[in-house]
Amino acid sequence: MSRAAAVTPVAAASPRRPGLRAATLVVALIGLGIATYLTIVHYTGGAPVCAIAHGCETVQKSKYAEFLGIPVAVLGLVGYVAILASLLRDDETSRTATAFIAIAGLAFSGYLTYLELFTIHAICIWCVGSAICMLLVTVLSVTRLLRAPVH
Amino acid sequence: MTKREMRDERRAARQAAERAELAKSTQRKRLARLGGAFVVAAVAIVIAVVATSSGDPKPVAKAATASTTSVQESNGVLGDPNAKYTVTEYLDFQCPICKEAAASELPTLIKNYVDTGKVKLQARTLHFLGDDSTTAAKFAAGAQAQGKFWPFLETFYANQGEENSGYVTDDFLKDIATNSGVDYDKAKAFAKTSGAQQALDTADSDASAIGADSTPTFTLKRGDGKETVLTVGPTGLIDALNSALSA
Repeated sequence: MSRAAAVTPVAAASPRRPGLRAATLVVALIGLGIATYLTIVHYTGGAPVCAIAHGCETVQKSKYAEFLGIPVAVLGLVGYVAILASLLRDDETSRTATAFIAIAGLAFSGYLTYLELFTIHAICIWCVGSAICMLLVTVLSVTRLLRAPVH
Repeated sequence: MTKREMRDERRAARQAAERAELAKSTQRKRLARLGGAFVVAAVAIVIAVVATSSGDPKPVAKAATASTTSVQESNGVLGDPNAKYTVTEYLDFQCPICKEAAASELPTLIKNYVDTGKVKLQARTLHFLGDDSTTAAKFAAGAQAQGKFWPFLETFYANQGEENSGYVTDDFLKDIATNSGVDYDKAKAFAKTSGAQQALDTADSDASAIGADSTPTFTLKRGDGKETVLTVGPTGLIDALNSALSA
């Protein structure tokens, strides 16, 4: 074995991970679907179809349904669109952008979940679904960034 | 191994070492960026949670008593509009003594005098304690336009906050309105009109006319006669009224 082969394990162990990018794309599309549904419900004034009592309606019609005057469903929609846009390219900047947006989205989802549990005292299953999607996107995008090859 | 082969091997080893160093350096940068992002996100969450917790209006309780909700109210006058006597309370929404008087005296006044048609009760909303008083008084004028002044007042008292702490926010008023059957949007719109200001001006001029300079001040008037002060403070209204009416 040559010395050159012995000192290049990092590059050899860092293959591209198209599976991670595809998985991120799928999860982000699911999140986008949820956010789109909640946005439509918000603007049509209806109540979301909800599996747990009337928690969705309680959350959707609470004052916390808007953040700085913007419906949180719209913020989620924008977040998922931004994540999908960042997935269009596969370079260091795009991978970093995906991870950053996902981390910000996860933080916001965490805050909203806190509000549901401790302030509104109602659970919106759609919001929980979106938070889980954002958690998965964060894990996938961070893993993808850390495992990306170095050129 | 020839010299050329040895040179090539050394170059390859050097390049491999450089690539490895680059990879380590890049990974360190990635971890630093991600770590920074997580820290910023965590700090943002903590700030948001603390801000939400401290900014929450305290939970709105129901009115302390429901003494006013079942009585006829017209233009802020509680009871029979044709009642011979008028009791007027000069109050400030922020005044804790007014709240005390509402709990200790008004239920009896309403039960024994207003419900029986002997007395009608009205209020004059002073606002000398501060901006929260003014905001509440103007909104109350909107509640009065809906025939809900007294339920609004009762519910407000039940949730009265720290004087001039800025607690009379839109959210607070919305909660009070919801719990007293007041249409928030209509009352809010009315609060911006000259009608609301006029209610405050009338209270000021009436208070000045009878020399009411503290709250609560209760006055009595027979028909269109002269308005006289019955009592000032949280207690003694019923006794004073009994004496005045039996005289």
